[in-house]
Amino acid sequence: MQLDKTSPSGTGTPATRTLGVLVIASLIALSLFGLVFSAEDVVQGSTVRIMYVHVPSIWVAYMAFAFTAISSAVYLTAKNRSLGWDRFAGASAEIGVLFVAISLVTGSLWGRLTWGTYWVWDARLTSTAFLFITYIGYLAVRRLGGTHRQRARRSGVLALLAVLEIPLVHFSVRVWRSLHQEASVADKGTDVELDGLMLFSLFFGLVAFTLLFVWLVIHRQRTLWLEDAYADKGLDAAIVARREEAGV
Amino acid sequence: MDLTPRSNSEETIVPKRKRNWFAIAVIVIALVGGGVIVSQFLTSAIDYYCNVDEVGSRDGCEGDRRMRVQGIVEQYSVKELNGSTTFSMTFNMKNLNVVYQGDPGGVFQECIPVVAHGRLVNGKFESDRIEVKHSNQYVEKNETRMDRANSEAAACSVQKD
Repeated sequence: MQLDKTSPSGTGTPATRTLGVLVIASLIALSLFGLVFSAEDVVQGSTVRIMYVHVPSIWVAYMAFAFTAISSAVYLTAKNRSLGWDRFAGASAEIGVLFVAISLVTGSLWGRLTWGTYWVWDARLTSTAFLFITYIGYLAVRRLGGTHRQRARRSGVLALLAVLEIPLVHFSVRVWRSLHQEASVADKGTDVELDGLMLFSLFFGLVAFTLLFVWLVIHRQRTLWLEDAYADKGLDAAIVARREEAGV
Repeated sequence: MDLTPRSNSEETIVPKRKRNWFAIAVIVIALVGGGVIVSQFLTSAIDYYCNVDEVGSRDGCEGDRRMRVQGIVEQYSVKELNGSTTFSMTFNMKNLNVVYQGDPGGVFQECIPVVAHGRLVNGKFESDRIEVKHSNQYVEKNETRMDRANSEAAACSVQKD
């Protein structure tokens, strides 16, 4: 359905369809590397395979929230204030929340098998849960009502504040004593503590999940565009109805 | 629904607004101040455990109060008797004997860091909960290492690599 000349007729294009095929292929390859080709860990056994989903998930979440903040900053500072930036911010935040949830669930399962418990209130887990709740709040704020521009303004400010939590989450294991281990790759330079295919599988997971994020955010942004266009259409109809009532 | 007449929402001209830099500066100062306060609070309250060498000396790690203690399970110290598990935890050349009722679970084994929840009673740490603190090292299980694992606990071989 095409609402007007400026709105898209759908969310797919040849480019996104190609990207979608690439995403499916990379996720299949990741499954093979994660479940078949890479070896078990000498201490954790097969539990280590959860890492190939858990780490890329939180990576995508960080990236999504950073993108939300950047898009919001562009919206708030650009002269033309295109609502496209706001829609990118909203789409990215939604996907970020989804991936934080995946990270929390997979981390919890890993914790049960390795630590012996699903959850502890240590610095990393608590700050990650706080990040999750914050962006749930952000999404709620986006739906408070008002015009598109009111939504963009208030959620834009909130996005710029919320993104400051990411360094808190990431460095929590270094600042405080946490049950969660420190990073094995990030901040390590060349002193990486993952063997052979484990490291490759992890990096492949990061690439695959990043492609998935790009594909999702493009489609979700276009869906939000259609939603906005539909709401505008309703507004036009309401104005016409009001005028008819008034006999104008 | 807002019925204000509009042209195209994408092309609406936004009047130039003067930014209130004072308010922005106050918000930034409040955030930094809030961050410092939260950081101070968390440093004293959310540190998840005391290390073995701090038991009896560090604030919050002394006396018979309930605490969480972290250390590495000493090799050859794990014993199971009548449904309870005893072992020695070590950290910074200090040892602590731990008694735990039951099987600790997780990947509990020798040479692995653990966090024990409990109280110090007559010089022994009586624990009712053990959490295994996995290191950030990931080592592939392969034939060479499996041979070595026949004579050593897997975690101990990781520690020595």
